[in-house]
Amino acid sequence: MKKSTIILIAVIAIAAIWGISAYNGLVKMDESVNTAWSNVENQYQRRADLIPNLVNTVKGYAAHEKETLEAVLAARSKATQMTIDPENLTPEKLQEYQKAQGEIGAALGRLLAITEAYPDLKANQNFMELQAQLEGTENRISVERRNFNEVARTYNTSIRTFPKAIIAGMCGFEKRPYFEAEEGANKAPEVKF
Amino acid sequence: MKKLTYIISCHPKQREGSVCTNIHANRFFVTPFLRMTRGMLFLLILILGCLPLQAKEYTVKEIPMVHLQDRTRYVSNPDGILSPSAVAEMDKILYELEQKTGIQTLVVAVTGIEGGDCFDFAYRLGKEMGVGQKERDNGLVILLSTDERCIQFATGYGLEGVLPDAICKRIQNRYMVEHLGKDDWDAGMIAGIRAVNGYLDGSMENIGGEEEGDDTALIIFLVLFLGGIVGIIALVVIFGNRCPKCKKRHALHRISSQVISRKFGVITSEVTYICKYCGHRVTMKEQSSDPNFRGPRNGGPTIFMGGGGFGRGGGGFSGGSFGGGSFGGGGAGSRF
Repeated sequence: MKKSTIILIAVIAIAAIWGISAYNGLVKMDESVNTAWSNVENQYQRRADLIPNLVNTVKGYAAHEKETLEAVLAARSKATQMTIDPENLTPEKLQEYQKAQGEIGAALGRLLAITEAYPDLKANQNFMELQAQLEGTENRISVERRNFNEVARTYNTSIRTFPKAIIAGMCGFEKRPYFEAEEGANKAPEVKF
Repeated sequence: MKKLTYIISCHPKQREGSVCTNIHANRFFVTPFLRMTRGMLFLLILILGCLPLQAKEYTVKEIPMVHLQDRTRYVSNPDGILSPSAVAEMDKILYELEQKTGIQTLVVAVTGIEGGDCFDFAYRLGKEMGVGQKERDNGLVILLSTDERCIQFATGYGLEGVLPDAICKRIQNRYMVEHLGKDDWDAGMIAGIRAVNGYLDGSMENIGGEEEGDDTALIIFLVLFLGGIVGIIALVVIFGNRCPKCKKRHALHRISSQVISRKFGVITSEVTYICKYCGHRVTMKEQSSDPNFRGPRNGGPTIFMGGGGFGRGGGGFSGGSFGGGSFGGGGAGSRF
């Protein structure tokens, strides 16, 4: 065998080894983005799960605030219909999802605002604890969203920087969208006293 | 030498018969001076009085981690909001809690925090310091900020089940907010820590053993263990099991052994050997480690050599560490 053939084979072997490890690295990162996304969805789901209980508790004290209560339930059923497969998470879909969840947030904000007028309700142990859970869930949502953005940013950076960009381009790794801070919509419902 | 004459006199407005306390030196010269210093003193007191009110806004990195210097301490109290006795009491409760359950707690009491977001601050404290054991994420951060007038719990992922947000809130409402609202920081915090301890005590077992002390104990154990084996082999090679009567090597056979004591993990037994050449009987005392023995605080078996031992981590003032638990935004906060 000629010397040049051996060198060629060696170079190809090294390139292949590098390519495999780079590909595996990207797959791992891709999976961590998926995990981060499902964590976000879990927390939104957790908030959605709290809503019926919350609405029922409020109903016991403020039944005539029907409109607000129904708005919350409507926003909830609309948002829970929407689940996104993280594999085809596009910016448009993410925005749509964020909008639907934002509507729940806004509706909940209005609900909590009207509860201010009912001191009995506010003193109710069950309601206080639901409120604490809701607050905790909002915190978790913001933590998981931040985490998702961080993981997605790491992934996006590595698929777009040379030389991993070659592997990413060949194997069809796509850029992931970020959560964007929306005007008021996705903020935790603020409780004013 | 300048001679100053001091006269004891009363203020002109002072009523007759009342005890005079003012000491004036030369009324025409010194009194204006005294008045000035008195004014300055007043101003100084005013300024000093205001200084502690002007809260320092801490960043997460600036909070002193007392637990890292001394593993029996958990309460970081840089502004002296809590009294030393209250801090000692909380430390004691939290130390016992960690010994029993492995739950690591960080209590921080400060006058002010940067940004003013109590949840975010407590969450970042837990996350950046890595409070809690790594595998179990059982960290708990309790933050009191007197300027923000907030009390905030942040629970690690692993604690969200045993200490749910609603329970955090209930503890705050029932035991803490009332005292804290009256600026009674000691009472509020102690009551809260006691309540938290009540919920968490017995909720899980301390299985982690991630403290540095355990690692060193393990290393020492391994070194001694291997050293012991090497030594025994050397002894056997050098002396063999030589019969003390006929002096032949590899002659002794063990025929019986009887345990005479089990103390501190050491089994002392009386072993009888017989020489296969001359039939001479030898009785010796032998010591070995007891595999069933568990040290008072240590998880694994311990061999005591020469009477010395190694407990977990040694003295009470060695530095502790946080295990690197993660936080997902659990917990609750209240304002007072």
